[in-house]
Amino acid sequence: MSVRNSSARQTGARTNPTNSRSSRRRTFFTIVVLFAVIGVFLVRLVDIQVVQADSLTADSVGNRSVGQVVYGSRGEVVDANGVVLAGTVMRYNITMSPVNATPFKRTVDGKKVVISVAEAAAEIGAATGQTGDAILLTIGAALEANAKANFAYIAQKVDVDVLRAVQELHIPWTYSENSPSRVYPNGAVAGNMLGYLSGEGVPQAGLESGQDTCLASTNGSETYEKGADGVRIPGSSVTSTEAVDGGDVITTIDSDLNWFVQQTLAARAQETGAAWATAVVQDVKTGKLLAVADYPSVDPNNVGGTKNPEDRGSRAFTQSFEPGSTFKALTMASVLDAGAATLETGIVAPYRYLPANGANINDSHAHPDQHMTLTGVLIDSSNTGMSKFGEKLTDQQRYDYMKAFGVGTPTETGFPREDGGILHPVDEWDNQTSYATMFGQGLTTTALQVASIYQTIANDGVRMPVQLVEGCRQADGTMANVPDQVGTRVLSEKAAQDTSDVLEMVYQKSWVQSKWNIPGYRVAAKTGTAQMPDGQGGYSNGYLVSVSGYAPADDPQYVVSVSIADPVKLNTSAAPAPVFQEIMSQVLKKYRAVPSGVTAPDLPSTW
Amino acid sequence: MSDNLARVSLSIEREPYEAPARRGFRLVSAAPNRRTRPRIFYALTAVAGMAAIIVAQLLLSVGISQGAYEISSLQSSQSELGRTAASVSEDLVRVSSPQSLATNAEGLGMVSNSNPVYLRLSDGAVLGAPASASGSQAGAASLVPNSLLAGSTPLSALPEDTTGTGETLAITSAPVVPAGLAAPTTR
Repeated sequence: MSVRNSSARQTGARTNPTNSRSSRRRTFFTIVVLFAVIGVFLVRLVDIQVVQADSLTADSVGNRSVGQVVYGSRGEVVDANGVVLAGTVMRYNITMSPVNATPFKRTVDGKKVVISVAEAAAEIGAATGQTGDAILLTIGAALEANAKANFAYIAQKVDVDVLRAVQELHIPWTYSENSPSRVYPNGAVAGNMLGYLSGEGVPQAGLESGQDTCLASTNGSETYEKGADGVRIPGSSVTSTEAVDGGDVITTIDSDLNWFVQQTLAARAQETGAAWATAVVQDVKTGKLLAVADYPSVDPNNVGGTKNPEDRGSRAFTQSFEPGSTFKALTMASVLDAGAATLETGIVAPYRYLPANGANINDSHAHPDQHMTLTGVLIDSSNTGMSKFGEKLTDQQRYDYMKAFGVGTPTETGFPREDGGILHPVDEWDNQTSYATMFGQGLTTTALQVASIYQTIANDGVRMPVQLVEGCRQADGTMANVPDQVGTRVLSEKAAQDTSDVLEMVYQKSWVQSKWNIPGYRVAAKTGTAQMPDGQGGYSNGYLVSVSGYAPADDPQYVVSVSIADPVKLNTSAAPAPVFQEIMSQVLKKYRAVPSGVTAPDLPSTW
Repeated sequence: MSDNLARVSLSIEREPYEAPARRGFRLVSAAPNRRTRPRIFYALTAVAGMAAIIVAQLLLSVGISQGAYEISSLQSSQSELGRTAASVSEDLVRVSSPQSLATNAEGLGMVSNSNPVYLRLSDGAVLGAPASASGSQAGAASLVPNSLLAGSTPLSALPEDTTGTGETLAITSAPVVPAGLAAPTTR
């Protein structure tokens, strides 16, 4: 091999000598041309890569890359049965380019027709429910503000049907953009409690605000390259940040029951001319809230429809009031639990009672001195009688019982800005307050706290944390933020049972018996009528009338607490009693509570 | 190849095969033809190969872009169908709201009764007082507003010839209900 190669080299050398000079010149020429070409390329390269780099990059990104927001979906708020109370839907904004709003050609039946701007505007208006003139005005206004205006809204947050109707028109200067929106399919059902979002999607109130850490989603983005016709170039680079959907808030509310409670409450509140009203249904064994109703109801789909901003929240959580006589159940339970009195203990209840400390107590109606037991005091709702029992405990003892029942502390629902009510420390009580707190004046509670007091008595003396939210359901189905559900014993079983028996006597013997009677069931309940503060440290002429109770009394399962504020046409407990009756009947029927078999106890009310 | 050792070993090995090697001599035609033919063949093969690669590449990229268009059109139809599904299920949720159900039920003459009466099987006792429903909610406008239902018509108010293929199911014969249900005459 080496021999053959060397001979070939010798042959080549032998043929070249005659052309060597021209060959060298040709080589030189080629190299010069080559360098010249390379030079041109080099200059162009520097020009493109360095000199014009920024503007070219900007152009290319604009031409080829499409950046898109990938919307994360805000979590749903669902009721105990999975019914969606608040959900996220996609809505669309119809936009346009006013500067490009010119006549265009459209093919109709094979013929090209010129569509004027006015005609196009009329067509859009027909689709979006506006007038064509309104759209022409929008165009005019946008151009007046900026002669080169390239963006204006025609309609915002329209549904897919409108979007399609507009897209069908194929008007070249109209566009659309996505706009995720919140929808509340059940309208005002639990609306006060749900809260709402602002137009920009910022939570404003209620669960939307309180559970925002669970519900909130994170938007992602996606960038890819597209061809002239908008189709993604295969294999083009895609950079994306994934959108993270929010978790779902599972509430303990039953939406159907909540609707019924709201409807019943609203009917009665309107009938009696009330300022506002609340109703709460709570499960005795678990402390779960089954319904929380407010009147007036707010429809979160149309918050603007509720004129008074105070009506947009949920007063059941945020409005505390002096509970009045429904609170006597707590005082009675405390006295019985401390062993200071029994159901046989008798007192003499005068119309006016002037205790040694200088307080001045009187009953709502004049009466001679009465020989009463606790049962009699509760049936007649006697303030003087209650005072004579209440004073058997020290102020500190009663304060401790109130704290144990949850008075003065917001409940465990975690509702934003929930009111804990006012319960002053014992050393701030004056002589009158010392007695007034026995029958529910001189302190305030929310409707929830009153319901919770009755839940404790009904549940053999064990107070369950008030629960509104089951937890936050994550995308993988696991539950986070599950609230603690450990009950605390407030009363002995005996004291709770005795209190319950007395409340059952109240239900049977009360003057509103015919209005709250539920045949077939044993019920324990108490009315309350409390003067409302006038906001200047005194009392107004308005009353807050309420009824709280539970059923079936032989195996308590549901607490219902109804409060109606300032019912000008009927300011007694006769206003809430029929509401209590209807709601409780519905609850017992809905949850198939077994009618009571045994007859109610009969306790002596006098001695 | 220039290795000495190898040559020595070859010469040693060749000796026994001298006689058969002589039989293989034969006349060979002139060289030029034989040398040029393989070169053209190789060139053609190379060019054909490149052409094949280019064609394959072209077909592949045509196929991929075809796929891209297909993906694009499928994606857009998927998103359109997704929009339709979302919009339809939104309608469904809306008409299943308590307000809509109550309005429709009342439109059909149904009356809500929150006064249940129970028959206890053990002793045949009737718990509660059986009475015709008072219709406490009947006739009353919904006091729990739902602005999503604005403009929707109760089924009973739909014209009778509406077929059931539209957005809402039509009940063709709404029962005629006298004022207040008659009490049952069963004894």
